[in-house]
Amino acid sequence: MAKRTTGTGGSPARTNEPSVLILTSLASGPKHGYALARDIESFAGVTLGPGTLYGAISRLDDRGLIEPAGSEPGRRPYRITASGRVALESAVRAMRQIADEGAARLRLDPQVGPPGGTRVAGLPRVSPLPGGAA
Amino acid sequence: MNGDQQYRRLLRWYPSSWRGRYGDELVAMMHDEYGGRRISGSARRSIALSGVSQRVRMSGLMGDRDDPADRVRAGALLVLCSWALFVVAGSAFAKFAEHWAAVTPPGSRAVPAAAYVSVSAAAALGAVIVGIGAVAAAPSFGRSMRQGGWSAVRRPVARAASVSLAAVVAGVGVISWAHLLSGPQRNGGLLLYGVVVLGWGLLVVAALATWTRAAVVAMRRTPLTLRVLRIEGWLAFGATAAMVVVAAGTIAWWAAMASSAPWFLGGGAVGSTASALPPVMVIAGSLMVGGLLAAGVGAVGIARSMPELGAG
Repeated sequence: MAKRTTGTGGSPARTNEPSVLILTSLASGPKHGYALARDIESFAGVTLGPGTLYGAISRLDDRGLIEPAGSEPGRRPYRITASGRVALESAVRAMRQIADEGAARLRLDPQVGPPGGTRVAGLPRVSPLPGGAA
Repeated sequence: MNGDQQYRRLLRWYPSSWRGRYGDELVAMMHDEYGGRRISGSARRSIALSGVSQRVRMSGLMGDRDDPADRVRAGALLVLCSWALFVVAGSAFAKFAEHWAAVTPPGSRAVPAAAYVSVSAAAALGAVIVGIGAVAAAPSFGRSMRQGGWSAVRRPVARAASVSLAAVVAGVGVISWAHLLSGPQRNGGLLLYGVVVLGWGLLVVAALATWTRAAVVAMRRTPLTLRVLRIEGWLAFGATAAMVVVAAGTIAWWAAMASSAPWFLGGGAVGSTASALPPVMVIAGSLMVGGLLAAGVGAVGIARSMPELGAG
């Protein structure tokens, strides 16, 4: 069973964690709730319900990993903070370590994969992270 | 009901402070997603679960799942709340069980006596452990109050103090009245006295509940060092163990009395048969079971999170 690990920022290290998906999405620029949900769906193939999405947004906001990027009422955009980048980097490193290990054991070339990323039943699609966070 | 009303209705799952901060955004997202149409069942469940989880999270008894220090703190606070339940249950048991030896045949007293002593000893040990926990957190709490933390805890502390004052005043009145009554009147002969004592008991329980709530609110906002958190974690294990002994001792006493002196449980004459399920013991037992479950959840959360605490 996969065990969640925490780094200095207590960063989650599972690809399907809503917080990792949100931080990954915001690494390429500020987005509001609906835009976040669509972006995550497009790069990870994961549909986050509104409750799950805003539960994770409020946790990340509380921990200072994201912050509002404007005062627009309703569709308020969020952006990743410096601490959020550190937490995401830590999560990405942890995930990459597992991915590299898996690739090595399967004797896969980690640089080569089908377009749009691979998808294994029960696991989210693995695709390059935007914003150069890795 | 139009879409906006339907979406805003779903916000009721969330605590009011969360609604104030994120409610409009969540409604806007639902408009974007559903365009005023009826929301799907899975999204409804997602919102309901998220709302309940926010309520639990904001109570301070769950902890941030990504932060082991917060989970240790939440686990310790959950054990503290369980202890408060045990104080209520234990007090009810102590009041119910007083004078048990006087109506129990001498040859049948060994088991209930051992059980009663173990309950008393574990309760005293638990009280000492909770006291040590309070002392360990006191310096951090004092610092937090001096740095402006008082404003956050003022309301729950004021509420607890008011309820406690009411309980003390009511207690003085009940005790004064009790001195004017005969023994039989105090022990079930006068219905009005029984009702007043019950009301006073509920007031005392409310005072305990409001102080526990104030302690949870205060400790959620008190920055604790890793060393203090570890101490609180170990003390929570000790308090949980004490609760296990109290519950086991209570059950053992209850079973022994049901076997050797059932008339005591039923309040009948010596030698009579009676129900082995007196309401006071059923309530006390239920509170202990509920408290044990909550303490178990807290202790397991601490056990899982303690190894993740960094050095310090």
